[in-house]
Amino acid sequence: MTTVGLSGTGVVGDRIVRRLPTVMAEADVVVLDGRSVIPSGVDVAVIASGGHHAEFAARLVDAGVPVVSIADDLSDVRELLDLDDRARSAAVPLVIGAGMAPGLTGLLARLLASELATCDEIHIAIHGTAGPACARQQHRALRGLAVGYHDGSWIQRPAGSGRELAYFPEPVGPYDCYRAELASPVLLRDAFPGTERISARVSANRRDRFTAWLPMLSPPHHEGGVGAVRVEVRGSDDAGARRTLIAGVAELVGTAAAATAIAFAVAAVRDELAPGVVRAGDAGLDTVGLLDTIAQVGVRLQEFTGVPSASRISANP
Amino acid sequence: MKFLRRALSAIFMMGLVATVLRVRGTGGTPPQHGGWRALELPEDR
Repeated sequence: MTTVGLSGTGVVGDRIVRRLPTVMAEADVVVLDGRSVIPSGVDVAVIASGGHHAEFAARLVDAGVPVVSIADDLSDVRELLDLDDRARSAAVPLVIGAGMAPGLTGLLARLLASELATCDEIHIAIHGTAGPACARQQHRALRGLAVGYHDGSWIQRPAGSGRELAYFPEPVGPYDCYRAELASPVLLRDAFPGTERISARVSANRRDRFTAWLPMLSPPHHEGGVGAVRVEVRGSDDAGARRTLIAGVAELVGTAAAATAIAFAVAAVRDELAPGVVRAGDAGLDTVGLLDTIAQVGVRLQEFTGVPSASRISANP
Repeated sequence: MKFLRRALSAIFMMGLVATVLRVRGTGGTPPQHGGWRALELPEDR
């Protein structure tokens, strides 16, 4: 019997409890309280709560418990990255950003990059939120400072700038996306050190951007609708030709985040993760195996297939 | 008076055009070729 500790009983936590048996029938889930004593016999701990994860993750790591965190707050992720030495000393993996984004996006980026000889650009777009904590985090992200990696150096731009129209998988479709204070570029840069440009954007409407500097004017929904991610990887193939590969997912954000957390929890239980900090997209991970687990949990992975037309080729030879 | 009437008419027409573009506009050109399909994971790891 495997014991999975779970912190957070919101939308993602609830989805983890319901979907974990699809890939780990013998698992027993115990709810962890971030402030109480860590029970013995926990094989892996999944932190799926709102708020900061670093402090609780540090306690779990010190107790020798592998940790899977769905943290998406930039400062929280930076604090978690600082726990690398402690996780290595305790010989346990600490998975940072095991939700939809960061998380699933990193795995998709690695899968696409594996089809290229060199990968120099990664661009992420996100649409939708899971529970209320996720919606509040996105609201905060739209008023912060967005980080990105551009031509070999880190840049900071005001959140809400840099509009780009992103086409997500159906039924979500096209949405205007903007820079936001997201953790994905920081994690992706560590996982893909050869890249020259990394960006992450989130969909927002005029009201979202206009009210980003205010507290949330109305309480968020219990759960957002169908969300989506879109990962675009650019690079060159073996022949030196430029290629752009796009993959994505359209799914309830809570389900996609839960599936990713479950995949990493299963990998941790099977001792497939190296000690220390683990990022979705790391070269040493069994990316295909993790994506396969995510698909088994019920998330449909999609890719965009562009068909070159004669008129476009003649216009851009 | 004539000038004022023309200016008001111009502002009204501008507003009308902006409203039509905002309501009916698509905000970009959708992809003309290709589409989304299920991603098949490679067999060999």
